[in-house]
Amino acid sequence: MSSLIREPSDVSRRRFLQVMGASMALASASGCHWETEEILPFQRRPEGRVPGTTRRFATSIECSGVAASLLVTSYDGRPIKIEGNPLHPLDRGAASARSQAAILDLYDPDHSRGLVQAFEGASYPRSWKEFDPWFAGHMAQVRARKGAGLRILSEPSSSLALASLRTRLAELHPQARWVEWEPCARTNKIAGSKLAFGRALRVQPRIEQVNTLVCLDADLFGLHPAALANARAFAARRRPEEAQPLRLWVVESSLSLTGAAADQRLALRDEQILPFLLALEARLAGGKAADGLFLESLADELLAQRGAALIAVGPRQPAAVHALAHRINANLGNTGKTLLYSEESDPAGVMELGELAREMEAGAVETLVVLGGNPVYDAPCELEFRRALRHVPLALHLSHYRDETSRACTWHLPRAHALESWGDCASWDGTRCLQQPLIDPIFPRRTPLELLGAICEAKLGAPELVRACVAPGASDEQWKKILHDGFVEGSAARPVEAALASFSVPAPAPRALAKELRNGELELVFAPDRNLYDGRSANNSWLQETPDAITKMTWGNAAIFAAETAAALGVEDSTLVKLKLGTRELEVAATVLPGQATGSITLHLGHGRSAAGLVGGLEQENIETVGFDAYRLRSSDALDRAGSLEVMPTGKSWQLARTTDPAVTDSIGRKQMEGLVEELARVRTLADFRKEPGSERESEHESLWNKPVAEGVRWGMAIDLNSCIGCNACALACQAENNVPVVGREQVIRGREMSWIRIDRYFTGPERSPRVRFQPLTCQHCESAPCEEVCPVAATMHSAEGLNDMVYNRCIGTRYCANNCPFKVRRFNYFNYHKAIEAEGAEVQRMLYNPEVTIRHRGVMEKCTFCVQRIQAAKIHAKNEGRAPADGEIVTACQQTCPTQAIVFGDLADPKSRVARLHAESRGYAMLAELNIGPRTTYLEKLVNPHPALEEHDG
Amino acid sequence: MNVFPRWMNALRVLAGASVLAAGVYVVALFAYGGSPKTINAGFSPEQPVPFSHALHAGELGLDCRYCHTTVEIAARAAIPPTETCMNCHLRIRTQSELLKPVFDSWASGEPVHWKRVHDLPDYVYFDHSAHVTRGVGCVTCHGRIDTMERVRQEQPLSMGWCLDCHRNPAPNLRPPEFATAMDWQPERPAAEVGAEIMQQRHLKPSTDCSTCHR
Repeated sequence: MSSLIREPSDVSRRRFLQVMGASMALASASGCHWETEEILPFQRRPEGRVPGTTRRFATSIECSGVAASLLVTSYDGRPIKIEGNPLHPLDRGAASARSQAAILDLYDPDHSRGLVQAFEGASYPRSWKEFDPWFAGHMAQVRARKGAGLRILSEPSSSLALASLRTRLAELHPQARWVEWEPCARTNKIAGSKLAFGRALRVQPRIEQVNTLVCLDADLFGLHPAALANARAFAARRRPEEAQPLRLWVVESSLSLTGAAADQRLALRDEQILPFLLALEARLAGGKAADGLFLESLADELLAQRGAALIAVGPRQPAAVHALAHRINANLGNTGKTLLYSEESDPAGVMELGELAREMEAGAVETLVVLGGNPVYDAPCELEFRRALRHVPLALHLSHYRDETSRACTWHLPRAHALESWGDCASWDGTRCLQQPLIDPIFPRRTPLELLGAICEAKLGAPELVRACVAPGASDEQWKKILHDGFVEGSAARPVEAALASFSVPAPAPRALAKELRNGELELVFAPDRNLYDGRSANNSWLQETPDAITKMTWGNAAIFAAETAAALGVEDSTLVKLKLGTRELEVAATVLPGQATGSITLHLGHGRSAAGLVGGLEQENIETVGFDAYRLRSSDALDRAGSLEVMPTGKSWQLARTTDPAVTDSIGRKQMEGLVEELARVRTLADFRKEPGSERESEHESLWNKPVAEGVRWGMAIDLNSCIGCNACALACQAENNVPVVGREQVIRGREMSWIRIDRYFTGPERSPRVRFQPLTCQHCESAPCEEVCPVAATMHSAEGLNDMVYNRCIGTRYCANNCPFKVRRFNYFNYHKAIEAEGAEVQRMLYNPEVTIRHRGVMEKCTFCVQRIQAAKIHAKNEGRAPADGEIVTACQQTCPTQAIVFGDLADPKSRVARLHAESRGYAMLAELNIGPRTTYLEKLVNPHPALEEHDG
Repeated sequence: MNVFPRWMNALRVLAGASVLAAGVYVVALFAYGGSPKTINAGFSPEQPVPFSHALHAGELGLDCRYCHTTVEIAARAAIPPTETCMNCHLRIRTQSELLKPVFDSWASGEPVHWKRVHDLPDYVYFDHSAHVTRGVGCVTCHGRIDTMERVRQEQPLSMGWCLDCHRNPAPNLRPPEFATAMDWQPERPAAEVGAEIMQQRHLKPSTDCSTCHR
């Protein structure tokens, strides 16, 4: 027995390893100096430029014709991080996950670097020098024919500069036609407002005025173009101190971010939303509806909240639903209070893609210029756009990537990244945003403005044109302000009066209400992917690896089934099923998700790209496609949903790369998990909270470890679960700030993802209407950190200010610390994930990295540092000025971008700091407090506000 | 039966001793050869232009900050752009062969390729402003630059050397207004002056890992 107990020897294990480590190092040292570096100063240093520091510039990026206003950090002239523009009235410093990930595209080796001409089945690299004179000659011929046979296919854009060029094009080439295509457009919304008001109008929600918010398949906080502002206003209206907190009702077929935040949620098949709204309108008009407690309670509340309610409808719903919502909002007196109308661009006079495809087939199109977009991939499948392109003698595609469309066109022209471009666009409220380049095109790439300028022989260059359109007649001083702010102050669209027209909406035929879970009567809903959107971001590895907010799926998509539907059809999670719509078939993976409407199957668009690049799939080079291409089932008459779906299980299994295990299926496990979840991610009803504001706190235990004496600054964090909507913006901010690597699908399946901030998502309650809880988890910087106690080489140490420091150089990769971390936030580099940048010719990829953060090598543990580089920078800056950093001066990357301001960082030792006040709030609790490890992060309970009549009913 | 004669016993001891000595020698050799003092201190690469700090900073008495303009506000002291050289050399020694790389850079816009003398590993985040504004003189780490014809690394710049000062900064502190003065000498014992400065300015240099490594 005694032999098992080791006597403490003279040489401790740590000392032994030190000695061993030292002798190994010496063995390799050859006694000579390392490679001498060179310093290359400027010939003339630009004014205000300090080498080795960052500068920030305001610009914007456009998606689906709506701008996101950005503030981009540039280090020594290279953009390294995208943040939201704090001055912008809507975005206010926040940026969506997708906007932030755009920085990766700039340095993507697949981002097109040159022109390619296809000729007789082979493709040849070309240069602008070859292209320009030839193209000018060709356009002169087209012009002589007054533009006959010339078609320009563009994505919808809010750019004034582009519009001015379009006018010029119409003068120069009167017979040319302008075509617009976007797979996820606002067509239904516009048609709805035309039905209701006779003209195209845009809804500007004013959530700060809303007490009852009803979202009908409307993802106001996720995919809505003003989601950041909506989410911020929503979070503000959810604070417990609000006298009249907002209640959110959501009716939708598949869980969205908005549905996850709902107080009352009803899962309804997409096609049943119209009957639901008709019944609601009838009930509001005084009729009796026997459609259940949900509708009854909702109607009562809407009537009680006249003028303080808002019914929002999502873009997938048909025009009739939009029109009905306009009418109900008007009749309840909400219009003008909780929502305003502004002018919406009306695409009247623009040719539709279907018409273009028919012209192409008929051989009537001689020159087709495609400005951005990817119609070969995302056009309705029955148009067979790829085949139609074969009939066009000259098709030019200006695009960021040499994608499916580029490969089917005769010319691929490389398009400049937004950060390399001059341009303009408008945000959802109409504010005119400026797009200015932070860097010259790294490769000879051009913008749509430049290409179109060449086509219509524009007199002004892109920058001059943008200035003339954005700020006509502005003085240099005013222009300078616009360049600084990134938008034109006070340029938001004015609200317009909307006079309701009289219209009637017939109730849909009963067939559409079929409730049986029978093949042929199922519905398939096409939804844009929360990360990849319509597929344009498919080659962005950050977005591919960021888990979907709800399904927690990375690298791919799957058809989402409700448990009931899956059981009825014999479909199992993680298997392949065949979806059949008429004659079209598609084999996709299936997953079962709570909160999905029975009989409704949702499939995300944007996956299954065959020519995205080395990340998203490239058939030509045998790079596997990622996910399944829903566009193959999507036709013009069913862009949003198809009603006659058949599902056939194939029996083949398919591994989904999820970062969270699928829900426990047996009832015992489920019960146990729910108990745990109640402890970890706490939720209470507002009524309970008001009765008894205090939350359960663990009493202080004796600790066996010596607690570090806290003197001076104590860094800490507070995360308000009541505000978090799970949008993933923080995850992307962290990825960009901290050089967090991407590991790929295989490694995610093995549980080796590297994200420093993980958003846990829990479902509780009934399968059909679950309560969704989000909990962002970073390193908690415990005061007696379990990881520190087990490290044999002191590679993780406690700093005097309470940071749990990770010393990469000391780490030998035992992974003991990760084993001992109760929060599982430590990440291990199983491979050298940054290997690609060490290769010859990877200079451009290297430019992406934040030089303030070490790039970690294989065999090293890493984790959240509370953005120690930002802490140090702020501390040094403040101390240089002879003061201490003020509260709020240090902002972590995740905190900076959070649209709902759920994350607060600061000094706990200063009782007046925001974080200290939040720590003291009665909602605050520490995770796993029973372990007595003193985490420096406090979570604030989520408070839900269910309808009293439905609380029992729904759980 | 003895195969080996008796005197071989002595040889055995001798052999053992020499193996031991060889081991000690090898370890000592590597310890010496691999130490930053040996490897780094004294490093003095030849520069494309034989710029003499002894002339400019010493004889002519230019302040360090005339060229290294960002030393008080940024992490890097910054090597001056060609323009700084040309402030004077547009008029002085305009025909000098030695200055050709500078004139070439001025004419072409291409940078002069200077060799880096003080090179910390990439995982070390040193900040000049944090030291200069607290009262660590240039001379403390860089030595008497004003006497160097060709810049030479004076100190080992090793982690142990950094920590020596972070643990006991007093002897190396001076009033920050004299930070760039090469020949400043304390009137009283250095440690005493330094201790006073530490108290006045609330200096408490950190030895946490994350102070320099991120």
